[in-house]
Amino acid sequence: MISPAALIRRAAPVLACIGLLAAWQAGSLALKNDSFPTAIEAIRAIPDILGDKESLINILASLRRMAIGFGVAVLVSIPLGLLMGRSRAVAAFFNPLLMVIYPVPKAALMPIIMLWLGVGDITKTLVIFLGVSLPVIYHSFEGAKAVEEKMLWSGAAMGLSPVQRLMRIVLPAALPEILTGCRTGLVLALITMITSEMIARQSGAGNILFNALDMGQYDTVFAMIIIVGAMGICLDAIFERVRARLVRWSEPQFDMPLSFS
Amino acid sequence: MSQKPASAIIEIDRVSQVFQTSSRRDHLALSDISLTIDEGAFVSILGPSGCGKSTLLYIVGGFVSPTSGVAKIKGQAITGPGPDRGPVFQEFALFPWKTVLGNVMYGPRQQGVRAAAAEAQSRALIEMVGLKGYENFYPKELSGGMKQRVALARTLAYHPEVLLMDEPFGALDAHTRTRLQNDLLNIWERDRKTVLFVTHSVDEAVFLSDKVVMMSKSPGRIRQLIDIDLPRPRRRNELLLDPRYQKHVVDIERMFDESDEGGSAS
Ligand SMILES: Nc1ncnc2c1ncn2[C@@H]1O[C@H](COP(=O)(O)OP(=O)(O)O)[C@@H](O)[C@H]1O
Ligand SMILES: [Mg+2]
Repeated sequence: MISPAALIRRAAPVLACIGLLAAWQAGSLALKNDSFPTAIEAIRAIPDILGDKESLINILASLRRMAIGFGVAVLVSIPLGLLMGRSRAVAAFFNPLLMVIYPVPKAALMPIIMLWLGVGDITKTLVIFLGVSLPVIYHSFEGAKAVEEKMLWSGAAMGLSPVQRLMRIVLPAALPEILTGCRTGLVLALITMITSEMIARQSGAGNILFNALDMGQYDTVFAMIIIVGAMGICLDAIFERVRARLVRWSEPQFDMPLSFS
Repeated sequence: MSQKPASAIIEIDRVSQVFQTSSRRDHLALSDISLTIDEGAFVSILGPSGCGKSTLLYIVGGFVSPTSGVAKIKGQAITGPGPDRGPVFQEFALFPWKTVLGNVMYGPRQQGVRAAAAEAQSRALIEMVGLKGYENFYPKELSGGMKQRVALARTLAYHPEVLLMDEPFGALDAHTRTRLQNDLLNIWERDRKTVLFVTHSVDEAVFLSDKVVMMSKSPGRIRQLIDIDLPRPRRRNELLLDPRYQKHVVDIERMFDESDEGGSAS
């Protein structure tokens, strides 16, 4: 049987969602404002959106751009971050560049990128790529820097070449930190995905949201916010599952007896 | 002791090491070290903290290249790390994402040994260091003493000719330390690999070694070489009562005390 404490822990997220919706419902009924529909009205609008072929195509297009932007960013940023963490020369070269890009909101670059590359997929995917890259580079860099030198020496004594040490020691040793960066990157991918579609209105989930806003269809606006939020929660939960599997070896496990020797 | 005529496996020839300190002054960590280590010998480097013991070991390992002088293995100048010299560090330096078995198999697999053969050898080694049953544990699930046993097995697994041990038992409690010293001696007495063993414990050096290299600090120099002519196999309880053992320990401790006084007077 599940203990009461465990039950409460499991039910907590659901309770939090119900609480939030209840507060929303109450707030909306109290304010009686057209632009603030009740939670129930917003939820009722969800099936309409998800049942509409046009909307579904838009949402899937968003997800595709997000997946490509995120995937390419991760593939480029992890090796770069690891190299920066292990080589002073590489770090000295890229650090100033990244320091310049870091504080700039990536969406603010969009108008310029749109001038060069148009309002299509490439521009939006590029902005997502930029948004995801920095946290992944940063965490990969920190993770690689923290790798114990003696571990690399042990590998060198076994005959691993410098490239093998990077791929087979630095990468796995830094993996917990890298995945922390990827998790932040995933959330940023969702955010930049929506903002990019807000600026270049042409297709996507953000496009549905802001078109509805223009037309005063506030239940659709709030339904889209719920959909995007739910996508974020689902993606994060899936990612967290994968992450926990990959770094089982590094997480503290309290149910493991530790005093054998 | 060994009947074979001893042949040198490691020669350290006039090695000096200068480090740049943060205040931009040069720090002479090792000054003009010359030392020959015979094949199959258990040699300890003994000295106070900061006298350059680790640096000397790292130079032999090929992890650090000396500012001047040369270190050789079997007559070849050492230019980098290699599987003929197997390090065991105080910090264990295990691969935390690998199980005990995965750690021990890593070297043989890297050397191209087939998976099945590497696994069989590794399981035997794990048993030899007393960790049978822990093959699928991750390092974080092991105590310090167990981690060091894994580190030793991982290094033995790729058959280095020389073991380089840098205060391997320094981070362990007294009881675990004694047990690992005994086990190391048992393992060593089977195949008599050359061991270069760094320690700052006089007891440990005398108990384990054929030869003790005493170092002094600032700059790091060799003070004296002492042959430990105690019979083998050595048993701790017999040795502690042996007057020859006691005399070695007392003599070495007195030499260190004298140098401390010399150091504080100048
Ligand atoms: N990478 C380094 N950079 C600067 N100084 C170092 C470095 N490694 C060691 N030293 C200095 O060299 C001296 C000898 O160090 P070490 O070989 O670690 O001594 P031991 O192992 O005997 O304690 C110490 O004074 C230490 O501070
Ligand atoms: Mg040391």
